[in-house]
Amino acid sequence: MKIVHMSDSHLGFSNFNRVDKYGRNLVEEMIYQGFEQAVERIIHLKPDVLIHAGDVFHHVRPRIRPLYVFKRGLEKLQDAGISVVIISGNHDSPKSYSAISPFYIFEGMKDVSIAHKYQYDSFHLEGHTFHCIPFCLDPDDYIKEFSNIGRSGNDVLVMHGLVESLKNKKMRTVGEHELRDSLLKSDFDYIALGHYHGQTQISKNAWYSGSIEYFNFGEASDRKGILLADLEKGVVEQIEIKPKYMIDHPAIDCSGMSSAELSETLQNVCDPDRIKDHILRINLENVSRSAYRNLNHAKLSKLTSAALYFKIRIEYDDEKERIDDVPVNALRLHEEYTRFLEDQASRNMVSKSIKNDVKAYGSNLLKRAVEAHNIEAMDASE
Amino acid sequence: MRERSLEHYRLARKNDVVLLQERNLAGIEIDTSKRIIEKGETTYRIISKSVREYQFIIPYKQPDEERIEVGQIFYIRDGRLIFLARVLDIQYDSNYDGKWDTTLRGTQFFDQDQIFNRVIAEPLGCVDTGGFRKSRTIPTKFSAVKKAEKEELRFLLEAMGDIEIGVLRNGSKWVEEMPVALHSDAMDHHMGIFATTGMGKSNFMKVFAASCMKLAAKGKSKFGLLVVDPHGEYLLGKNGSKGLMHLKNYESGLVCYTTDKKNATHPGVEELTVALDEIEPMDISVLYDWSSAQRDALESISRVFDSNWLDDLQTKEGLAAMVSEGFNEKTMGVISRRIKTIVEKNRYIDKTKSSIPNILAHLQEGKVVLVDIPRMSDRSELFLLSVISRCILEEYKQDAARGRKNCLITIEEAQRVLGEGNLTRFESIAREGRKFGVGLCAITQQPKLIDKQLLSQFNTLVVMGLGDRNDRSQLEESAKQDLSSLDIEIQTLEKGEAIISTLKIPFPVPAKIHRYEDYLGRLEREDRSDEKLITSGGFRPVLD
Repeated sequence: MKIVHMSDSHLGFSNFNRVDKYGRNLVEEMIYQGFEQAVERIIHLKPDVLIHAGDVFHHVRPRIRPLYVFKRGLEKLQDAGISVVIISGNHDSPKSYSAISPFYIFEGMKDVSIAHKYQYDSFHLEGHTFHCIPFCLDPDDYIKEFSNIGRSGNDVLVMHGLVESLKNKKMRTVGEHELRDSLLKSDFDYIALGHYHGQTQISKNAWYSGSIEYFNFGEASDRKGILLADLEKGVVEQIEIKPKYMIDHPAIDCSGMSSAELSETLQNVCDPDRIKDHILRINLENVSRSAYRNLNHAKLSKLTSAALYFKIRIEYDDEKERIDDVPVNALRLHEEYTRFLEDQASRNMVSKSIKNDVKAYGSNLLKRAVEAHNIEAMDASE
Repeated sequence: MRERSLEHYRLARKNDVVLLQERNLAGIEIDTSKRIIEKGETTYRIISKSVREYQFIIPYKQPDEERIEVGQIFYIRDGRLIFLARVLDIQYDSNYDGKWDTTLRGTQFFDQDQIFNRVIAEPLGCVDTGGFRKSRTIPTKFSAVKKAEKEELRFLLEAMGDIEIGVLRNGSKWVEEMPVALHSDAMDHHMGIFATTGMGKSNFMKVFAASCMKLAAKGKSKFGLLVVDPHGEYLLGKNGSKGLMHLKNYESGLVCYTTDKKNATHPGVEELTVALDEIEPMDISVLYDWSSAQRDALESISRVFDSNWLDDLQTKEGLAAMVSEGFNEKTMGVISRRIKTIVEKNRYIDKTKSSIPNILAHLQEGKVVLVDIPRMSDRSELFLLSVISRCILEEYKQDAARGRKNCLITIEEAQRVLGEGNLTRFESIAREGRKFGVGLCAITQQPKLIDKQLLSQFNTLVVMGLGDRNDRSQLEESAKQDLSSLDIEIQTLEKGEAIISTLKIPFPVPAKIHRYEDYLGRLEREDRSDEKLITSGGFRPVLD
């Protein structure tokens, strides 16, 4: 049995404010095209089943366009006789009573099986059981839902979330749900994971297919695409859908450069053929403010106009060395507050008589605020 | 005028009337049957001896419920001070000399009023308005001695830490209201658990780990606890007992790894893997007794090869590279063969995946990490422990991220690796772990075999009965608190009873360790509904 594993299409995502002649966001359009390209490629690969491991849509309430693009894709797959298994991800799962899952629209479609109700569901297709754990509301739910799995002997697991082995990766965002590595059991024929955008093998049988597109510069070094897995042979093939189009250029040391030299450096890097339709960021270090000010910015704009998006990240030579503080865990603000208050108290900035009251009141308040805020926090940033 | 010499005055309390009686030595007859001191008043009063030892007498015959036992705590209220003392010994005694107790005297052996038991007690300290402190004085002679109840021991509550393990034991009676709890703060120092088989060591470890799980789940833990379990009894229990996995209420404080396929089917238990490239020559070196040539060769491996040394060494080219370094082919053959055995025997060694980064991360978060390795050979267990503990120390030697918790590594049958002469295996952790926040929790039946210098660094001791005098004297010599006076009590400890000696609790405390199953039941009943920080924000979808 052959399956194609894809995830994180994020249909409806837009960025960079670049629009085409019809006023449509260029990145958004590119993502629709990428999805359609992927569907064509999948049809060509002729798998028995396509798994989409979550985050089909970027928003909980997708607009008509992404819904339509997705429906059209499903219909094409249907016509090609490919069964589709979909789970919802953190982006397309409602977290309030005011929204319902966009996947209700696609329920009942022939050969389309969707798990989107925050609980375990399983589908029997082509002699295999697809055990699906979609995005759950509570991190503890994943283990509970996993307990409902009954093995059939030919089992595929589909989940959405960040496995703990990957948690040191930069992608970690506030409120992100972590999947315990203990769920990645070796007796599954294949484990299809979604949420992490880089194509990565986690264990012998567990993979993140990654997304097809690049969504931020943190992903510039990721491998992108889909996976074709042959369950009988135990072989997984990595398939690229699009050539790499994001460049995060390594930092260039500009110490002592005049504006002319700076201009020349940029010119060398921004070869129009190389950057055409690319998303490009150039990192400059130790730049003299006057040299940068004197750059011919009009010329630079023209030079980089071929790029889909161009950005210079600049660090001036007169900037003090930044002290990289450890980021505060937004779910543990009350602890941070307690630490802060203890620190202040140790410097006699807070009167001893009120310290404990202030600490208790403040940390409790923050705890409740974080709880209340957590619904929104579970959405990854735009 | 009749001359009267007053020998002395005595106070006697009879029917609530104070009587003053005088005794005339000039021959005036005194009715000896009329007592001026009631029998009961001679007992339970301090009569001797010094700042370091109190003695009082008790009736030689006591009803069962009032029987005095070794280990019981008494108090003496004297002015503003309350002196506390613990019974060390009880002896037969009397006011007679010689063989009075085997001599017939009239209708009975003896005058019952003149015999009693003498109680030898060790002063623990005294409590005044400023709290508990060591006593530098003695209570007034004849001060009344009473059994300490929870009121007098209340100060101990404040001295207790956050890791509950049992209740205070007064003799063989338990003071339920007085939990005994260790201090998280003391856990970057080494800890020792000493018990002979069957004294409740596993039960203690489960209770200890459960309390740590509770702290971790509440985000209050100050150290991560690594428990490597070669007996397979902590995960799900054994022979009808419960395991740590049964503590559902605080399960988020526990992370489990196992080498057992059956245990690995549980969603919360991960199959243990160690990546090939995480193994270093020094991990191999601790496993066998090597000749000096072999040891030299092992030490050179990391210089000759990179992280892929385990594979490289097995190749002809690898062997040639070592031979060209001047090492004997035979020497390399032995090393290569032994390495092959280790890699083949330990199925958890994996080419790609490793559990160790996750284990390190969880320990730094302050969780309880249980590594379940049932049926593993002694050598494999030591090898695994060596790899994990080395990785832990390396990680902790690096700059600490804010909020990183300390780490406590438990070692079962610790005499195998922490003994005098064979300390090399864990020497670096034993000697310098404390600097980096890594402590050892040594569990052993034979403290006499533990390196003396290391033993003296143990800040927390849990003694659960040691029959061997050498074991006890080794402990007494090395412990930071004076345990020598507790020798009798340690000998008489029963299953589940312990003496806890730790720096932050002012004196070694007798404890009854919770029975794990009972403690588990209590923890499971605790209401946590208001604590959940990461929740769905109250949203539960309406599903059709």
